[in-house]
Amino acid sequence: MSYLAAGVGGLGFFAMSVLLLGVWPGRVLEQQIKGTSPDHPLPLTASEKRGRVIYGREGCAYCHTQQIRYLPADVARFGAATLAWETIFDYPHLWGTRRIGPDLSREGSVRSADWQLSHLYAPRSLVADSVMPAFPWLFEGAPDRPRQEAQDVLAYLETLGRNRALAGPEGDERARKSCNCSDDEKRFAFGSPALNASPAMARRQGSYPKLSLSGDLRAGQRLYSSNCASCHGIRGEGNGPGAAGLHPRPANLSEHEYTWDRLSSSLWNGGAGTAMPAWRDLARQELSAIAQVVRGFHATQPEPSLPQDVLDLGSRVYAAHCAQCHGENGAGDGSAAGQFPIAPTNFQTQRPSLAASLRALRNGVEGTPMAPWTAELSEAELSAAAYYVRGFFHGDPR
Amino acid sequence: MSAARPASPPIESRLVYAHGLAALVTLLISVAFGILASIKLIAPDVAGNSAWLTWGRLRYDHTQGIMLGWLANAFFAFLYHAVPLLTGRPVTSARLGQWIFGLWNFAVVAPGWVLVLAGFSQPLEWAEFPLVIDAFVVLALLLLGIQFLPPFFSRGLEDLYVSSWYIIGALVFTLLAYPMGNFVPELVPGARGAAFSGLWIHDAIGLFVTPLAVAILYFVVPAATRKPIFSHFLSMLAFWLLFFLYPLNGTHHYIFSVIPMSAQIGAITASTLLGVDVIINVANLLLSLRGSGFFPRDIGLRFVGTSAVLYLIVSIQGSVQAQMSVNQSVHFSDWVIGHSHLAMLGFASFAAAGGLIHAWQRIPWARYDAKLLGWSYWLLLAGLTIMVLDLTAAGLVEAHWWQSTAPWIESVRAVKPFWLIRTLTFVPITAGFLALLCGLVVGPRGGGLKAIQKSIGLEPIQEIAPKLASSSTGRP
Repeated sequence: MSYLAAGVGGLGFFAMSVLLLGVWPGRVLEQQIKGTSPDHPLPLTASEKRGRVIYGREGCAYCHTQQIRYLPADVARFGAATLAWETIFDYPHLWGTRRIGPDLSREGSVRSADWQLSHLYAPRSLVADSVMPAFPWLFEGAPDRPRQEAQDVLAYLETLGRNRALAGPEGDERARKSCNCSDDEKRFAFGSPALNASPAMARRQGSYPKLSLSGDLRAGQRLYSSNCASCHGIRGEGNGPGAAGLHPRPANLSEHEYTWDRLSSSLWNGGAGTAMPAWRDLARQELSAIAQVVRGFHATQPEPSLPQDVLDLGSRVYAAHCAQCHGENGAGDGSAAGQFPIAPTNFQTQRPSLAASLRALRNGVEGTPMAPWTAELSEAELSAAAYYVRGFFHGDPR
Repeated sequence: MSAARPASPPIESRLVYAHGLAALVTLLISVAFGILASIKLIAPDVAGNSAWLTWGRLRYDHTQGIMLGWLANAFFAFLYHAVPLLTGRPVTSARLGQWIFGLWNFAVVAPGWVLVLAGFSQPLEWAEFPLVIDAFVVLALLLLGIQFLPPFFSRGLEDLYVSSWYIIGALVFTLLAYPMGNFVPELVPGARGAAFSGLWIHDAIGLFVTPLAVAILYFVVPAATRKPIFSHFLSMLAFWLLFFLYPLNGTHHYIFSVIPMSAQIGAITASTLLGVDVIINVANLLLSLRGSGFFPRDIGLRFVGTSAVLYLIVSIQGSVQAQMSVNQSVHFSDWVIGHSHLAMLGFASFAAAGGLIHAWQRIPWARYDAKLLGWSYWLLLAGLTIMVLDLTAAGLVEAHWWQSTAPWIESVRAVKPFWLIRTLTFVPITAGFLALLCGLVVGPRGGGLKAIQKSIGLEPIQEIAPKLASSSTGRP
């Protein structure tokens, strides 16, 4: 009798735990998924699935969670709290219980492909203080020569947050209505100002704070060397350890003159389509200090005065070949500009050195739509155009 | 429990010895995995960037090795010693024991490690060995049931001592919980799978490690002090509470997640009550230890006594960190890593070491060096204390940065010094475990029996006489 009582009692406890905390929540979640999921969330492709397996195999989930909790700090840092339907293709789930690196629930749209690959290949080449393991065995000896495995991981990373983004505000609205959840939960899951709150996510447009002209230079140098130098190089020459795998290459800051406005926008919004992340998580005075350092890389040189006929030639070449993208007034707002993933250079806020300008015309800018012009233009035309674009720069407004 | 017991129940000493050695060897390997993983957090490119030694795979092997290599083997060694004594009957078969030993170490632990390093694993906590290994684990668990359960069932349950209950509970429930944690999340996706995963994360500790460790505590305390435990009633109360509450804890790993709030709150409630249960259990153990001093001379008892205290601390900590207000900031941080080391390196490893030493002392032909084992105790206690305090502080620092708006990398920068200290604790911890190994394989044969005599004041007269002489003359 006591055998029976103990046996039934013991097994009953276990069964109860499985029912109460496994099966029953599963039923509730199933209902909720049915009500809140978009009709046809995108399943993973073969490559994305393989990437998921590698992600699991290398222990990524043991430093990066994939669940944004229903908490203000999580939502502020990463975005809207994770809904049950967002992980329905995860066999097994990759929620994770430890964060050494940031949560990756919405990583898909945060970083560019070349950044992700370079970061997988050699994390500290981009983020100097990172402790992430390097995964060189997924590559053919260089960050821009990924093996299929690295491409699979990249493909998988790009799916993170994809379905929620595709569902759009309409999907969220529908989910909010049919979600059987408390007001608090609704606030965290749907009330977040941004689906993806990552401060590093680059955006092509967006308001940005005006940085002050009086940054603390010493603090700036410290910030620059820990955050920027890995790509732009310690002297701003665009040759940091992370530069090799990035297309386009990081800007050579010493060859360009930037307005304050341009620097403010680049630091706050990042370089959409390029590996340049946004730095919205740094304080304004820190960004000002960094901008100060960047301005210091450029040494002003006496500008040659050019004969009028050269300028005329440059103007004609520019109007015929460059204005579609770079705009009639060099503001990077030509009629074709919107078609490109990377915005054409705005020459009003950024002046390349003559050498840099010529180099871009001769060789193009790898990784951007800017193609070499040597086939179309004569040497004289190239030089004239290279001079001409520099004339758009208007400096800082007084 | 002594009335019905035959004079000398047959103990398979060779299996105690084999599992004990396997435990210590797999322990040192698992510790090596842990050290390397911890070094890689402060110097990520150390030891090259080869796939086989990448951080993730080392971490998988570290925790799986500690649970399935070290603790499991040590527990099995203890079972071969304790089950015949508890039941007065031999285990089912020595031959079967050899099979289990081979299966466990050469079809589970060793190939599991290699497969994980080679890139075959599953990304589920406490279930990282690949599915093929899980099949062997389940088979071995079945065989362990056949090996150890029949001796209990040949007696009436009314006669069972609390350690027997824990042993039966652990063997039966692990067999049920293991497949749930290892197979279900592969079949049930996302949030629903995570609910099961959460259950297993806690069941691995609560239904496998804890019951066997507590079985050791309740076995060694009366056996080494030669006094009955304080209260059998309390021991049984705590036993049933534990098996009622522990399985209900799992969801506390996913608080503030999308798993239904009522399940989360249920798990938090169970976690809180579990603290109460452990207070009862440890109070009973410590009351049973009255008169033995804080650091008993018997090293096995000393490990076991400290294990009970650590069990209390880690359980209260667990109850506290399951509370929403605490969990929201310390979850995901090194605080939890400190907690798990307090549980596994503290409570469970001290119990396992105590049980192993206790069993070793009673193998007449086994070598035994009490001095080295004493060193082992102090080194491990020191290493553990520094590591847990350090990681707890690191967790608070991380929590602070995560609550702020500072860039993520600031939290990483801020804890690097803590990680350095954590890595340095490998010195006392490795030394302590080496001393444990050496204490059990060097020294005179039969040294254990002498140590028992010494600890209970039965020193041979020729050893006592000089001491008496010196104390009477006032010289040291």
